[in-house]
Amino acid sequence: MTDAGHRRTVALLGAALVATPVLLGVAYAAAGAVGMTGVAATGFSLGRLSHVLAEHTVWRSVFWSIVVAAVATALSVTAAACAATMFSGRRIVDRIARALAVAPLAVPYVVAGALGLLILGQSGFLARLAYAWGFIASPNDMPAVVYDTRGVGVILTLAWKEFPFLALVAFSLIAARGAALEETAHTLGAGRWATLSRVTWPLLWRGLLPAATAVFIFSMGNYEAAALLAPSDPLPLPMLTLERYDALELSQRTDAYVLTLLGLLIAIVAVGVHEWTRRRAELIDR
Amino acid sequence: MDTPTCGAHRPVTLPRGPRKSPSYRRTDLARYVGLAALTIAAIGPLLLLMVWSASREWFFPALLPQRWSVDGWQWLFQGGERIAVAVRNSVLLGIADGVIGCAIAFPIGRAMSRLTGWRRYAAAAAVFSPVAAPPIALGIGLQYFLLRIGVGGSVVGVLLAHLVPTVGYLSLFFLSVFVAFDRRVEDEARTLGASSRQVLFRITLPMMRRQLMEAVAIGFLISWAQYALTLTVGGGAVHTLPLEVFSYMRAGSGNYAASAALVMIVPPLLALAAARYAAGRTVVSPV
Amino acid sequence: MTWFMWRGDPSINRYVDEWVAPRLKRDADITLNPVDAQGPSILSQLAVERQARSGAGTADLVWINGETFYNLRKSGLLYGPWSGRLPNARYVDSTSTIVSRDFGQLPAGYESPWGTVQFALIYDTARTPRPPRSVAELSSWIHTHPGRFTYDQSFTGVTFMKVLMYALDGGVEHFEGPFDETRYREGSDKVWQWLADVRPYLWRNGQTYPDGVADLHRLFANREIDFSMSNNQNDVVTKVRQGILPATSRPLLLQNGTIANTHYLGIAFNAPHPAGAMVVANFLLSPAAQLEKQKPEVWADGTVLAMSRLPDTWAARFRALVADPLALSRDSLSKYARPEVAPQYSERLQRDWRVRIRTTAHK
Repeated sequence: MTDAGHRRTVALLGAALVATPVLLGVAYAAAGAVGMTGVAATGFSLGRLSHVLAEHTVWRSVFWSIVVAAVATALSVTAAACAATMFSGRRIVDRIARALAVAPLAVPYVVAGALGLLILGQSGFLARLAYAWGFIASPNDMPAVVYDTRGVGVILTLAWKEFPFLALVAFSLIAARGAALEETAHTLGAGRWATLSRVTWPLLWRGLLPAATAVFIFSMGNYEAAALLAPSDPLPLPMLTLERYDALELSQRTDAYVLTLLGLLIAIVAVGVHEWTRRRAELIDR
Repeated sequence: MDTPTCGAHRPVTLPRGPRKSPSYRRTDLARYVGLAALTIAAIGPLLLLMVWSASREWFFPALLPQRWSVDGWQWLFQGGERIAVAVRNSVLLGIADGVIGCAIAFPIGRAMSRLTGWRRYAAAAAVFSPVAAPPIALGIGLQYFLLRIGVGGSVVGVLLAHLVPTVGYLSLFFLSVFVAFDRRVEDEARTLGASSRQVLFRITLPMMRRQLMEAVAIGFLISWAQYALTLTVGGGAVHTLPLEVFSYMRAGSGNYAASAALVMIVPPLLALAAARYAAGRTVVSPV
Repeated sequence: MTWFMWRGDPSINRYVDEWVAPRLKRDADITLNPVDAQGPSILSQLAVERQARSGAGTADLVWINGETFYNLRKSGLLYGPWSGRLPNARYVDSTSTIVSRDFGQLPAGYESPWGTVQFALIYDTARTPRPPRSVAELSSWIHTHPGRFTYDQSFTGVTFMKVLMYALDGGVEHFEGPFDETRYREGSDKVWQWLADVRPYLWRNGQTYPDGVADLHRLFANREIDFSMSNNQNDVVTKVRQGILPATSRPLLLQNGTIANTHYLGIAFNAPHPAGAMVVANFLLSPAAQLEKQKPEVWADGTVLAMSRLPDTWAARFRALVADPLALSRDSLSKYARPEVAPQYSERLQRDWRVRIRTTAHK
């Protein structure tokens, strides 16, 4: 084998090594889903697997988790793009704005969830402000944004959590290439709006897509923020998985394996999409 | 003496981004509104946490706590044996995962940077998968294997579990580092007769000091924030800060949860500040 | 020595971390390591460990009762028998049906009693000066106060459903003895009917339910709902002191009867330190530990010891415990106390509730 070929194999093996735990997890969950292993192992049977896959509740959970994460990501991408175009300069205001935008990166999901509850709850801080200003008379009058079936509180909290990461990427994009391109556009006579729509936004859009896919995946799979703010029905997928895993009846454990398998497979597909968007972003670069 | 005419009066300014025209003034208002929003979004929650951690009774509709107390902080520093264990575990796990993850991911990222075309994307997808996997699913999947090798429910088991997403993320990090890295220095050293090992230890690694530190910091932060993975693999026996914050939130002890949460924010903030400082020394600074 | 226990209550945590643990360390050189785990997750953890044949387990002592005990015993996940061997076991009030039976089952030495509690609702005298006193009155109260009542998804909510079941279908005597599917069907149907009837008037129109009793307390304290509940009638006492519940909260027993039960300690089948676990269980059963636990400022948890079996000095100290003004009188407690019945009732209620009531898909 040539030296380059040797290096290639090593590289691919290394990458495969990193992915092994996921494959092991998929194998175990698959085996558990058909009853071959796991605490409720009763021997090979597709019964429970087909039961779970046909369960309305399960698909509602999957759908809910996906939609909530998608809306949150859409919101935060828009906000990040706006922030990047608004504060692209080098003046002190711009720098402060950029630092503030990125600062909440330090807050982990569990703390974000706790804050969401504290601020957005019907008896939360916003509600208390509304009460003080006479808008509401009791917590019931406050629009229900946590524990609601639409998951508005979860969406807002996830968007708040995703925003710093996307803003960081957006700022990098503008800093690396934006300024030069914008200058070029100006010298060619383009007005502000034209620059924005023809030059800056496409640049941001393509560059943010991989990062947006990544935060979408993280938000969809997150347990703790959802657990603090989500309704009891539909239950977000991570919560449903843990609930079945811990069920007193060990037979419900098999359901948990099916849901685990589902979660891992969705993640693998999402990773594929992520790589595809990266490829597109890099092709545009050239 | 006559004062100099026109041009000399105007202060000389270096080009600073887009030039101002009348339409720009309208956007100034938007910028200040945006700045206000960013400030509230960043500082507001922090202030609330601080107030909450110093509260004892804070029911609707009170805007400020009805009863204040330092319980939340006292417990953190003296009473809480358990919280001390949680902080210790989180810190040790973070450092260990950061260092070990960096050590493993460095060669992998480097090797991956030599790949081209579809192979590189495939490899990137492979190393990203442990990061993308929902932690609860990953935890359930791994728990069995970790129990089999006898580390289930122990700090070592949690360390290994955290290593999985950490190595994945850091491999991607080193991939981008090495893609941007100028190989010519290495090549020159080799033509001058240095062995691969010498090149690595005397040229590459020293040049990458900043990136190595960043990698350890990133690895630390990934482990620091893990919840579901620690919960499943640790079997509840391994206490870490995120678990404490969650369980105190659930138990209704808001002030304990808030002070633990503030502790949780400190290392990431430090890491962010350090990264900004380091990045500020290079030409292109995103912040 | 690792102890799997519910860590959702700060007063219990404080008692264990700050009173029990230092004494164990000092007197028996045992380092206590409490771990947050409730019934289902204890079962889960032990089952996985058995499946993986992982040698020594993680848990030594486990805090359990009812359906958890039942399932652990059924799967052979408990060590024992051992509880009769404890020196302090002679003080236990074994004549009481509440203590000697765990959800109708015999502990048979596989678990040692620790404390007793009784289910009670919690209300705020400032908001609800005249609370409902029975299940029927509760139903009409809910109808006249929409959006101000709910129940949780965890064990407190299940206990509430059991209270409903006894009240609506012939009292606890009807359900005593081994689990009976027909009686369960009839009883639970009445419960579903009652719940469906009040559902539109519950908090959030009964579309979503709080996860556990702590969330319920938080909603109650912050005026989102007007009632909370607890498996421990003295929760009010401890939580008002901690600032978790408002000072005007009071416990409330329903005249149809509320459930009193005992909670126990078990030892895991693969415990690394079974002897140490027994020492801890014995210590927790000692008059000193039981007295401390019963103090209103500590936990206010009922004792499992019989006053008649204790030496006089100890019995006197128990009697001298000043009852907290917020607590209910012993008489009303025993008048309305009802024992638990077979654990399958609890399991089925919770499972069927999730399918019938929590899922809004079919509506």
